[in-house]
Amino acid sequence: MAAAPNDSLKVEATLRAVLADVLGLEPSRVAQFREDSPLFGALPEFDSMAVAGLLTELEERLGILIEDHEVDADMMETFGALLTFARNKALT
Amino acid sequence: MSEKAGGPTGLAFERFRVKDREEWLMRLGRPHAPAILFIPPLFEEMNRTRALIVAVMNRLARRGHCCWLPDLSGTGESERDLGDVTWRDWRHDVTFAAAHITEQSKYPLVASLRSGALVDDEAKARGWWRFAPQDGSSVARDMARSGLAGGVAWAGYAPSDDLKAALVAAKPAAVKRLRTVRLSTDPGEADAKIEGPALWRRSEPGNSAELADALAADLQRWSGECVGF
Repeated sequence: MAAAPNDSLKVEATLRAVLADVLGLEPSRVAQFREDSPLFGALPEFDSMAVAGLLTELEERLGILIEDHEVDADMMETFGALLTFARNKALT
Repeated sequence: MSEKAGGPTGLAFERFRVKDREEWLMRLGRPHAPAILFIPPLFEEMNRTRALIVAVMNRLARRGHCCWLPDLSGTGESERDLGDVTWRDWRHDVTFAAAHITEQSKYPLVASLRSGALVDDEAKARGWWRFAPQDGSSVARDMARSGLAGGVAWAGYAPSDDLKAALVAAKPAAVKRLRTVRLSTDPGEADAKIEGPALWRRSEPGNSAELADALAADLQRWSGECVGF
Protein backbone atom coordinates (compact mmCIF):
# COMPACT_ATOMS: atom_id res chain seq x y z
CA MET A 1 0.00 0.00 0.00
CA ALA A 2 1.31 3.46 -0.91
CA ALA A 3 2.48 5.98 1.66
CA ALA A 4 2.44 3.69 4.70
CA PRO A 5 3.08 5.83 7.78
CA ASN A 6 6.52 4.89 9.03
CA ASP A 7 6.95 6.54 12.37
CA SER A 8 5.33 6.65 15.74
CA LEU A 9 3.83 10.12 15.47
CA LYS A 10 2.25 9.38 12.11
CA VAL A 11 0.61 6.26 13.52
CA GLU A 12 -0.75 8.29 16.42
CA ALA A 13 -2.12 10.99 14.11
CA THR A 14 -3.72 8.34 11.91
CA LEU A 15 -5.31 6.65 14.92
CA ARG A 16 -6.77 9.94 16.16
CA ALA A 17 -8.13 10.74 12.68
CA VAL A 18 -9.72 7.28 12.39
CA LEU A 19 -11.33 7.58 15.83
CA ALA A 20 -12.79 10.98 14.89
CA ASP A 21 -14.11 9.59 11.58
CA VAL A 22 -15.50 6.33 12.93
CA LEU A 23 -17.03 7.65 16.16
CA GLY A 24 -18.14 10.97 14.68
CA LEU A 25 -16.29 12.92 17.39
CA GLU A 26 -14.90 16.43 17.05
CA PRO A 27 -11.16 16.22 16.20
CA SER A 28 -10.52 18.73 19.02
CA ARG A 29 -12.01 16.24 21.50
CA VAL A 30 -10.02 13.33 20.10
CA ALA A 31 -6.86 15.46 20.30
CA GLN A 32 -7.30 15.55 24.08
CA PHE A 33 -7.27 11.73 24.46
CA ARG A 34 -4.34 10.64 26.65
CA GLU A 35 -2.80 7.19 27.12
CA ASP A 36 -5.22 6.36 29.94
CA SER A 37 -8.37 7.78 28.31
CA PRO A 38 -10.98 4.99 28.34
CA LEU A 39 -12.48 4.04 24.94
CA PHE A 40 -14.39 0.79 24.49
CA GLY A 41 -17.15 0.60 27.08
CA ALA A 42 -16.74 4.29 27.93
CA LEU A 43 -17.91 5.98 24.72
CA PRO A 44 -21.53 5.42 23.65
CA GLU A 45 -20.50 5.90 20.01
CA PHE A 46 -18.09 2.94 20.24
CA ASP A 47 -20.52 0.11 19.42
CA SER A 48 -19.84 -3.20 17.70
CA MET A 49 -20.22 -1.79 14.17
CA ALA A 50 -17.83 1.00 15.14
CA VAL A 51 -15.29 -1.62 16.24
CA ALA A 52 -15.55 -3.24 12.81
CA GLY A 53 -15.17 0.13 11.09
CA LEU A 54 -12.24 1.10 13.27
CA LEU A 55 -10.32 -2.08 12.47
CA THR A 56 -11.01 -1.94 8.74
CA GLU A 57 -10.14 1.76 8.51
CA LEU A 58 -6.87 1.24 10.45
CA GLU A 59 -6.00 -1.59 8.06
CA GLU A 60 -6.59 0.61 5.04
CA ARG A 61 -4.79 3.72 6.30
CA LEU A 62 -1.83 1.95 7.95
CA GLY A 63 -1.44 -0.78 5.34
CA ILE A 64 -1.72 -3.54 7.96
CA LEU A 65 -3.78 -6.71 8.39
CA ILE A 66 -5.53 -7.39 11.71
CA GLU A 67 -6.53 -10.98 12.50
CA ASP A 68 -9.77 -11.58 14.37
CA HIS A 69 -7.97 -13.41 17.21
CA GLU A 70 -5.91 -10.28 17.90
CA VAL A 71 -9.05 -8.33 18.68
CA ASP A 72 -10.36 -8.19 22.24
CA ALA A 73 -11.76 -5.65 24.69
CA ASP A 74 -8.32 -5.09 26.30
CA MET A 75 -6.66 -3.70 23.17
CA MET A 76 -9.47 -1.15 22.82
CA GLU A 77 -9.90 -0.38 26.51
CA THR A 78 -7.81 2.82 26.50
CA PHE A 79 -6.35 5.12 23.88
CA GLY A 80 -2.88 4.01 25.00
CA ALA A 81 -3.65 0.31 24.55
CA LEU A 82 -5.03 0.90 21.05
CA LEU A 83 -2.05 3.09 20.14
CA THR A 84 0.40 0.41 21.33
CA PHE A 85 -1.45 -2.18 19.23
CA ALA A 86 -1.42 0.05 16.15
CA ARG A 87 2.28 0.90 16.55
CA ASN A 88 3.25 -2.75 16.97
CA LYS A 89 1.33 -3.62 13.82
CA ALA A 90 2.51 -0.74 11.66
CA LEU A 91 6.10 -0.33 12.77
CA THR A 92 7.41 -3.83 13.39
CA MET B 1 -31.62 26.57 -14.69
CA SER B 2 -35.33 27.04 -14.94
CA GLU B 3 -36.10 26.23 -11.32
CA LYS B 4 -35.53 28.47 -8.36
CA ALA B 5 -32.30 27.89 -6.48
CA GLY B 6 -33.08 25.88 -3.36
CA GLY B 7 -36.58 25.09 -4.62
CA PRO B 8 -38.03 21.73 -5.51
CA THR B 9 -36.01 19.89 -8.10
CA GLY B 10 -38.49 17.46 -9.61
CA LEU B 11 -38.68 14.65 -7.07
CA ALA B 12 -40.36 11.54 -8.48
CA PHE B 13 -40.46 7.80 -7.90
CA GLU B 14 -40.63 5.42 -10.84
CA ARG B 15 -40.91 1.66 -11.20
CA PHE B 16 -38.44 0.00 -13.52
CA ARG B 17 -38.58 -3.52 -14.92
CA VAL B 18 -35.82 -6.04 -14.18
CA LYS B 19 -36.63 -9.17 -16.20
CA ASP B 20 -39.76 -10.60 -14.48
CA ARG B 21 -39.90 -8.19 -11.53
CA GLU B 22 -40.02 -4.47 -10.81
CA GLU B 23 -37.97 -2.25 -8.50
CA TRP B 24 -38.01 1.46 -7.59
CA LEU B 25 -35.95 4.39 -8.82
CA MET B 26 -35.95 7.80 -7.13
CA ARG B 27 -35.48 10.74 -9.49
CA LEU B 28 -34.32 14.26 -8.66
CA GLY B 29 -34.24 16.72 -11.56
CA ARG B 30 -36.00 17.22 -14.85
CA PRO B 31 -36.39 13.99 -16.88
CA HIS B 32 -34.59 15.04 -20.05
CA ALA B 33 -31.57 16.66 -18.40
CA PRO B 34 -28.21 14.84 -18.62
CA ALA B 35 -28.67 11.74 -16.47
CA ILE B 36 -26.56 10.44 -13.60
CA LEU B 37 -27.37 7.04 -12.08
CA PHE B 38 -26.16 6.76 -8.47
CA ILE B 39 -25.30 3.31 -7.11
CA PRO B 40 -25.20 3.29 -3.30
CA PRO B 41 -22.83 1.23 -1.14
CA LEU B 42 -24.10 -2.23 -0.18
CA PHE B 43 -25.41 -3.28 3.25
CA GLU B 44 -24.88 -1.05 6.29
CA GLU B 45 -22.98 1.69 4.45
CA MET B 46 -26.04 2.23 2.25
CA ASN B 47 -27.92 3.65 5.24
CA ARG B 48 -24.98 5.68 6.44
CA THR B 49 -24.50 7.43 3.09
CA ARG B 50 -28.15 7.96 2.11
CA ALA B 51 -28.22 11.57 3.31
CA LEU B 52 -24.92 12.31 1.57
CA ILE B 53 -26.09 10.81 -1.73
CA VAL B 54 -29.33 12.79 -1.66
CA ALA B 55 -27.37 15.97 -0.86
CA VAL B 56 -25.13 15.39 -3.90
CA MET B 57 -28.16 14.57 -6.09
CA ASN B 58 -29.89 17.78 -4.98
CA ARG B 59 -26.89 19.91 -5.84
CA LEU B 60 -26.57 18.35 -9.30
CA ALA B 61 -30.31 18.54 -9.98
CA ARG B 62 -30.18 22.28 -9.31
CA ARG B 63 -27.31 22.56 -11.79
CA GLY B 64 -29.29 20.96 -14.61
CA HIS B 65 -28.76 17.22 -14.14
CA CYS B 66 -31.31 14.47 -13.70
CA CYS B 67 -30.17 12.23 -10.85
CA TRP B 68 -31.47 8.71 -10.26
CA LEU B 69 -31.09 6.36 -7.28
CA PRO B 70 -32.36 2.75 -7.36
CA ASP B 71 -33.52 0.67 -4.41
CA LEU B 72 -31.51 -2.49 -5.03
CA SER B 73 -33.44 -5.77 -4.64
CA GLY B 74 -34.15 -6.55 -1.01
CA THR B 75 -33.37 -2.98 0.14
CA GLY B 76 -35.41 0.18 0.60
CA GLU B 77 -38.87 -0.10 -0.95
CA SER B 78 -38.09 -3.36 -2.76
CA GLU B 79 -40.72 -6.01 -2.07
CA ARG B 80 -38.20 -8.85 -2.00
CA ASP B 81 -36.46 -10.39 1.03
CA LEU B 82 -32.73 -9.83 1.10
CA GLY B 83 -32.32 -13.55 1.81
CA ASP B 84 -33.71 -14.38 -1.65
CA VAL B 85 -31.51 -11.91 -3.52
CA THR B 86 -28.52 -13.13 -5.55
CA TRP B 87 -25.44 -11.20 -6.65
CA ARG B 88 -26.68 -11.37 -10.24
CA ASP B 89 -29.94 -9.72 -9.15
CA TRP B 90 -28.05 -6.66 -7.90
CA ARG B 91 -25.98 -6.48 -11.06
CA HIS B 92 -29.17 -6.78 -13.14
CA ASP B 93 -30.83 -4.03 -11.07
CA VAL B 94 -28.08 -1.61 -12.09
CA THR B 95 -28.07 -2.67 -15.74
CA PHE B 96 -31.86 -2.41 -16.08
CA ALA B 97 -32.04 0.86 -14.17
CA ALA B 98 -29.57 2.32 -16.68
CA ALA B 99 -31.67 0.95 -19.56
CA HIS B 100 -34.85 2.50 -18.05
CA ILE B 101 -33.14 5.89 -17.94
CA THR B 102 -31.77 5.54 -21.47
CA GLU B 103 -35.32 4.95 -22.80
CA GLN B 104 -36.26 8.42 -21.50
CA SER B 105 -33.14 10.38 -22.46
CA LYS B 106 -29.61 9.21 -23.23
CA TYR B 107 -27.03 6.92 -21.64
CA PRO B 108 -26.50 7.91 -17.98
CA LEU B 109 -23.22 8.52 -16.24
CA VAL B 110 -22.88 5.89 -13.50
CA ALA B 111 -21.76 7.30 -10.13
CA SER B 112 -20.96 4.57 -7.62
CA LEU B 113 -20.10 4.98 -3.97
CA ARG B 114 -17.91 2.50 -2.11
CA SER B 115 -19.06 -1.10 -2.75
CA GLY B 116 -21.64 0.11 -5.29
CA ALA B 117 -18.67 -0.03 -7.68
CA LEU B 118 -18.76 -3.84 -7.45
CA VAL B 119 -22.05 -4.10 -9.37
CA ASP B 120 -21.86 -1.13 -11.79
CA ASP B 121 -19.81 -2.38 -14.76
CA GLU B 122 -22.41 -4.14 -16.94
CA ALA B 123 -24.63 -1.08 -17.34
CA LYS B 124 -24.59 0.72 -20.68
CA ALA B 125 -23.30 4.15 -19.68
CA ARG B 126 -21.55 7.24 -21.07
CA GLY B 127 -18.94 7.01 -18.33
CA TRP B 128 -18.25 5.93 -14.77
CA TRP B 129 -17.32 7.81 -11.59
CA ARG B 130 -16.41 5.93 -8.43
CA PHE B 131 -16.00 7.35 -4.94
CA ALA B 132 -13.78 5.39 -2.52
CA PRO B 133 -14.35 2.01 -4.25
CA GLN B 134 -13.36 -1.09 -2.31
CA ASP B 135 -13.04 -4.87 -2.76
CA GLY B 136 -15.93 -7.09 -1.73
CA SER B 137 -13.65 -9.00 0.66
CA SER B 138 -13.21 -5.80 2.67
CA VAL B 139 -17.00 -5.34 2.92
CA ALA B 140 -17.46 -8.97 4.00
CA ARG B 141 -14.71 -8.70 6.63
CA ASP B 142 -16.27 -5.53 7.98
CA MET B 143 -19.73 -7.11 8.23
CA ALA B 144 -18.46 -10.33 9.84
CA ARG B 145 -16.41 -8.30 12.31
CA SER B 146 -19.46 -6.50 13.63
CA GLY B 147 -19.95 -9.71 15.65
CA LEU B 148 -16.51 -9.54 17.29
CA ALA B 149 -17.24 -7.03 20.03
CA GLY B 150 -20.50 -8.41 21.32
CA GLY B 151 -22.64 -7.41 18.35
CA VAL B 152 -24.45 -9.52 15.76
CA ALA B 153 -22.43 -10.81 12.80
CA TRP B 154 -23.39 -9.10 9.53
CA ALA B 155 -25.03 -6.44 11.69
CA GLY B 156 -28.28 -8.38 11.56
CA TYR B 157 -28.42 -8.66 7.75
CA ALA B 158 -29.20 -12.13 6.44
CA PRO B 159 -27.85 -12.35 2.88
CA SER B 160 -27.96 -15.64 0.97
CA ASP B 161 -24.83 -17.80 0.75
CA ASP B 162 -24.71 -16.95 -2.97
CA LEU B 163 -24.62 -13.24 -2.20
CA LYS B 164 -21.93 -13.61 0.46
CA ALA B 165 -19.70 -15.83 -1.69
CA ALA B 166 -19.95 -13.52 -4.70
CA LEU B 167 -19.32 -10.47 -2.53
CA VAL B 168 -16.10 -11.93 -1.11
CA ALA B 169 -14.79 -12.57 -4.64
CA ALA B 170 -15.92 -9.24 -6.15
CA LYS B 171 -13.54 -6.46 -7.16
CA PRO B 172 -14.36 -3.23 -9.03
CA ALA B 173 -14.16 -4.18 -12.73
CA ALA B 174 -12.30 -2.18 -15.38
CA VAL B 175 -14.57 0.14 -17.38
CA LYS B 176 -14.03 2.81 -20.04
CA ARG B 177 -14.04 6.53 -19.17
CA LEU B 178 -13.60 5.97 -15.45
CA ARG B 179 -12.73 8.63 -12.87
CA THR B 180 -11.92 7.49 -9.34
CA VAL B 181 -12.11 9.89 -6.38
CA ARG B 182 -11.01 9.18 -2.82
CA LEU B 183 -10.71 11.03 0.48
CA SER B 184 -7.34 12.63 1.19
CA THR B 185 -6.96 10.26 4.16
CA ASP B 186 -7.26 7.21 1.89
CA PRO B 187 -3.87 5.93 0.61
CA GLY B 188 -5.47 4.13 -2.38
CA GLU B 189 -4.91 5.18 -6.01
CA ALA B 190 -7.24 7.84 -7.38
CA ASP B 191 -7.61 10.50 -10.10
CA ALA B 192 -8.43 13.05 -7.40
CA LYS B 193 -8.35 13.28 -3.62
CA ILE B 194 -10.81 15.45 -1.71
CA GLU B 195 -11.20 16.58 1.88
CA GLY B 196 -14.07 15.34 4.03
CA PRO B 197 -15.17 12.84 6.65
CA ALA B 198 -15.53 9.09 6.01
CA LEU B 199 -19.28 9.21 6.71
CA TRP B 200 -19.74 5.53 5.86
CA ARG B 201 -17.74 4.64 8.98
CA ARG B 202 -20.00 6.48 11.39
CA SER B 203 -22.26 4.43 13.63
CA GLU B 204 -24.82 7.23 13.37
CA PRO B 205 -25.75 8.28 9.82
CA GLY B 206 -24.43 11.79 9.22
CA ASN B 207 -23.97 14.33 6.48
CA SER B 208 -21.35 16.86 5.43
CA ALA B 209 -22.13 19.89 3.28
CA GLU B 210 -18.40 20.27 2.61
CA LEU B 211 -18.11 16.73 1.25
CA ALA B 212 -21.37 16.96 -0.73
CA ASP B 213 -20.16 20.22 -2.33
CA ALA B 214 -16.81 18.69 -3.30
CA LEU B 215 -18.35 15.50 -4.72
CA ALA B 216 -21.04 17.37 -6.68
CA ALA B 217 -18.44 19.73 -8.19
CA ASP B 218 -16.16 16.87 -9.24
CA LEU B 219 -19.06 14.85 -10.63
CA GLN B 220 -20.40 17.83 -12.58
CA ARG B 221 -17.01 18.36 -14.26
CA TRP B 222 -16.66 14.68 -15.10
CA SER B 223 -20.24 14.49 -16.40
CA GLY B 224 -19.38 17.39 -18.71
CA GLU B 225 -16.40 15.47 -20.07
CA CYS B 226 -18.51 12.38 -20.71
CA VAL B 227 -21.16 14.16 -22.81
CA GLY B 228 -21.57 12.71 -26.28
CA PHE B 229 -20.62 9.10 -25.51
